[in-house]
Amino acid sequence: MPRTPRVPAGRRPRPLTTLSLALALCAAGFAAWAGEDWYGAAHDDRSAYAAERDEALAAGEQAVQNLNTLDHRDLDHGLDLWESSTTGELREQLASGRKQFAEQVKAAKTVTTARVLSGAVTELDDRAGRARVLVALRVTVKASDGAKTEKDSRMFGELTRTKSQWRLSALGQAPVGGASAG
Amino acid sequence: MRLTRPRRASAPALTRPATADPTDDETTAGAPVEEAARPESGMPGGEPTGSGAAEAREGGPAGPQAGEVPESERPVEGADRAEGGGSDSRRSRGGRLRGVAAAGIVAVLLGGGCAFHYGAHQLRSTEAARNRALTDTEATARVAGEIDNALARVFSYTPDGTATAERSARAVLDGRAARQYRDLFARIRDDLAGQRITLSTEAVRTGVIELDGDRARLLVFLDQTSRRGNGKATTAAAQLTVTARLENDRWRIVDIKAR
Repeated sequence: MPRTPRVPAGRRPRPLTTLSLALALCAAGFAAWAGEDWYGAAHDDRSAYAAERDEALAAGEQAVQNLNTLDHRDLDHGLDLWESSTTGELREQLASGRKQFAEQVKAAKTVTTARVLSGAVTELDDRAGRARVLVALRVTVKASDGAKTEKDSRMFGELTRTKSQWRLSALGQAPVGGASAG
Repeated sequence: MRLTRPRRASAPALTRPATADPTDDETTAGAPVEEAARPESGMPGGEPTGSGAAEAREGGPAGPQAGEVPESERPVEGADRAEGGGSDSRRSRGGRLRGVAAAGIVAVLLGGGCAFHYGAHQLRSTEAARNRALTDTEATARVAGEIDNALARVFSYTPDGTATAERSARAVLDGRAARQYRDLFARIRDDLAGQRITLSTEAVRTGVIELDGDRARLLVFLDQTSRRGNGKATTAAAQLTVTARLENDRWRIVDIKAR
């Protein structure tokens, strides 16, 4: 009689132990799977590339807009912005022609503003840090007499990444009727 | 009551699990179990009388107090005694502790798993990651090529050959773009024939802004060369954003906006 209760007493925890062990294993399996899944997503080359693409586009659009914006009353600030948006040869060109250009704008007393209508990245080499963008732009030029002229332009930009920042290294207007510009 | 108590005391070692277990199941009875166990270890030869048992119960809390001095002086013996006398209560407490620990571990694992799962979902569903423009080079090149081709066909015609353009339009345009195109052609068809206008359209550059499964948005720079009769050809630039949808494994333009 006294022995009988001892048997279930000793055995009773076992099914519970087995159950909790199975539960723990399932939980561990789930955690491992989710962890691996997360690791995969966090180290996905594709998403890193996609993020770089969006960064390049944002920087490209901003730089193109900056380079089409200039107020004759605030030339220094505007031209500083031009230089900080660019790099390489384009920056050198702007720097070397800065004085002359500033005088021209001062004389013309124009205020130029630009709005990006649309933009897209056409090429991206995230290792070399190079990208090409297309930007459709509406440029508004306000002359000294207050007359406004609007002009749509389509720009090709080339971006180079320097110190983890995308900057314009070349900018040109797409030629119209210039055969098939590659 | 009087019958059960002496029996319990007469065979303490064997019956103890039996008495401890039911109380063990009652989570609120944690204290009584200890009380019952302590007197037995402190007084092995406890009187099998009702008053003795009652005394033992009452003296229960005092037991550990009395044993405190030697226990603290001789910790090894104290530990031995604890193992020998209170093993069941300890075991049940240990089992409960293990249970709590196991539940804790399971909870941590589940919580961590959920956090990782959520994190992975967040990473994948970011706007940048969903947009496959350029990340999927094949699909990007394909949609750009098909849209270039479609625009060239739809917006190129000769004075006598508008039917070809309109036929192409039916194949590659859909939705708002198709309606706009029909309206446009209804207005200009007579003029085209009367003024002998030839138009040829070419996509100069195309960039895919967004590509998400079966939807795409593109920026297209077009050159449109038109000629009136045998006059001089003039080229105009056009910038379009085109919305396209993949239908039956074919990209169709559903909206065109001039920029």
